[in-house]
Amino acid sequence: MSIGMILLLVLALLILFGVLQRVLDRMALTDRQALIGVAAIFIGGWLPDLTFGMVTVNIGGALIPLILCVYLFFHAGTAKERVRSLVASALTAAAIYIIGLYFPADPVTMPFDPMILYGVAGGAIAWLLGRSRRSAFIAGILGVVLADVISGVMLWSQGVNQALRLGGAGALDAVVLSGVIAVLLCELFGEIMERITTGRADAPHEDGAIEGGQRA
Amino acid sequence: MKTRFLRLLLSFTLALMLYSLCSIDAAADDLDGDHELSVALDSSGARLFAISGTISEGDEYISADNVLYRIATVQNGTAIAERVGEEEMPDVSWLDAGEAQAVFAAEEAIPTASDSTGEADKKKLIAMYVTHSDESYIPSDGTQSINGQGGIYDVAREFRDALQAQGVDVILDESTHLPHDSGAYRRSRQTAERLLQKRPDAIIDIHRDGIPDESEYACTIHGENASQVRLLVGRSNQNSAVNREFAKQIKAVADKQYPGLIKDIFIGKGNYNQDLSPNAILLEFGTHTISKERALASTELMANVVNTTLYGKETSSAKSSSESGKAAAQAGNGEAKGSMTGIIWMLIAVVAGVLIFALVQTGGGKAMKTKIGRGMSEMTGGLFGKKSGGNEA
Repeated sequence: MSIGMILLLVLALLILFGVLQRVLDRMALTDRQALIGVAAIFIGGWLPDLTFGMVTVNIGGALIPLILCVYLFFHAGTAKERVRSLVASALTAAAIYIIGLYFPADPVTMPFDPMILYGVAGGAIAWLLGRSRRSAFIAGILGVVLADVISGVMLWSQGVNQALRLGGAGALDAVVLSGVIAVLLCELFGEIMERITTGRADAPHEDGAIEGGQRA
Repeated sequence: MKTRFLRLLLSFTLALMLYSLCSIDAAADDLDGDHELSVALDSSGARLFAISGTISEGDEYISADNVLYRIATVQNGTAIAERVGEEEMPDVSWLDAGEAQAVFAAEEAIPTASDSTGEADKKKLIAMYVTHSDESYIPSDGTQSINGQGGIYDVAREFRDALQAQGVDVILDESTHLPHDSGAYRRSRQTAERLLQKRPDAIIDIHRDGIPDESEYACTIHGENASQVRLLVGRSNQNSAVNREFAKQIKAVADKQYPGLIKDIFIGKGNYNQDLSPNAILLEFGTHTISKERALASTELMANVVNTTLYGKETSSAKSSSESGKAAAQAGNGEAKGSMTGIIWMLIAVVAGVLIFALVQTGGGKAMKTKIGRGMSEMTGGLFGKKSGGNEA
């Protein structure tokens, strides 16, 4: 079982045990919607890819996460948060692209799996921009998809006819994983920082507002 | 103030994207990575082996003569390996006896030459793909890296053809996974996942090494010029122990059939998508400075080795072999042991992940107990856990 499968299992268990209830509330998702989303990603990963010319889209690995992004985007609290999600996505895409260029190409030389780095980039950027779990998820998902699109377009411009596969590894694809890692990281950062700044151990801010930013 | 901050961020984003575009030419010049060479020495200071990439503490190495070394320290790019001892290799004495096979003997009908039913042959299926699509051979291809299908695809096709000639069905996915960057294994993972849906008996990732010295790989097998083959196993995955057993099976068979063909086994960092299958292996056919013809010559030999490792030595004798049964049992035990270790680590990771988040989310103590108790109660319809009570955190 890969690190990706472990992460998804952890996520499903956290949702089932109600531990992520507050995170899901802030993401405007119910436990049931979240579990349906996780199940759809798993099942969709096994369905045949959708093909649009040189582009293939995996249903579980890209389409469902993108639909979730659209849902979260339109449920984002304010126009500013929407802008922040888009900026975070663009920044994450650029970060992932640059990681691809400069991170060692061979696993023996890599300090750790770059797939984790993509999620960390999305989570960190989204958290720095607005402490928002919604933005983190959107940045994690859209960042990887945009980076893949940029990479594909670059190859086509160089005359290489390589198919652009979005989310091709289904539930285990970097698209899903970086979205999950980004949210979990944002939550971990957020909770730790809030406990440090407020010194409270339970329900730090019922209204979700913290100093210097807003929670979502 | 906030608007100005957002504008600043947008400008920064655009600048980063522009920078990414500008750096493409630089990256294209070095499609094949930086060929960082690392050398490992044994405790007496003698050169043990070299790899293209970095050697890390904890990496392991099984030499051509089956001695296991473990990297103890790495200083300034030079690794010091300690000799662990003779590595116990799989028993392939069944090769001498001309009896059946190793890996699949226990679970399937043995496809021997006398087995004329096509059904057994149908079970012989191997999948192949090429993660580093650009890899090429300078003496034959004129460059070490082609921005498209490199010379390595010729090697993969030859390998496929040689296996097919022996009655093995081979799916070679010729998708490219460019560029040759840190995302290459992520892209090839998608290909590997697709191939595994066909349920192959083994999945092979075809590569060539990046060691500049061609003499590292040049060899003569049965009087013919050929290239040695390195087996690479990723140790950062739950299948590592099983992948390692598979690599050792291949080496043991090759050492018997074509001594000197297998250069060594390197067990290094990373997973190389080998977490997807117990019978996943990465083969390095020579290096970029060797002629492709040498690598091509090795493909037929490797086809014999892989076919024999997976399906046994074909013989006109249909007698069942107790020795092959033992070998299969050993392989099966190794697989079960490796899988169990993987499952235990996975469970530890899952429990640790859940506990860390539960702790951060609830502040620990009573609140965590209450929350998890309530979750358990809801999940099990009140059978386990407390239905209510305590403050939700």
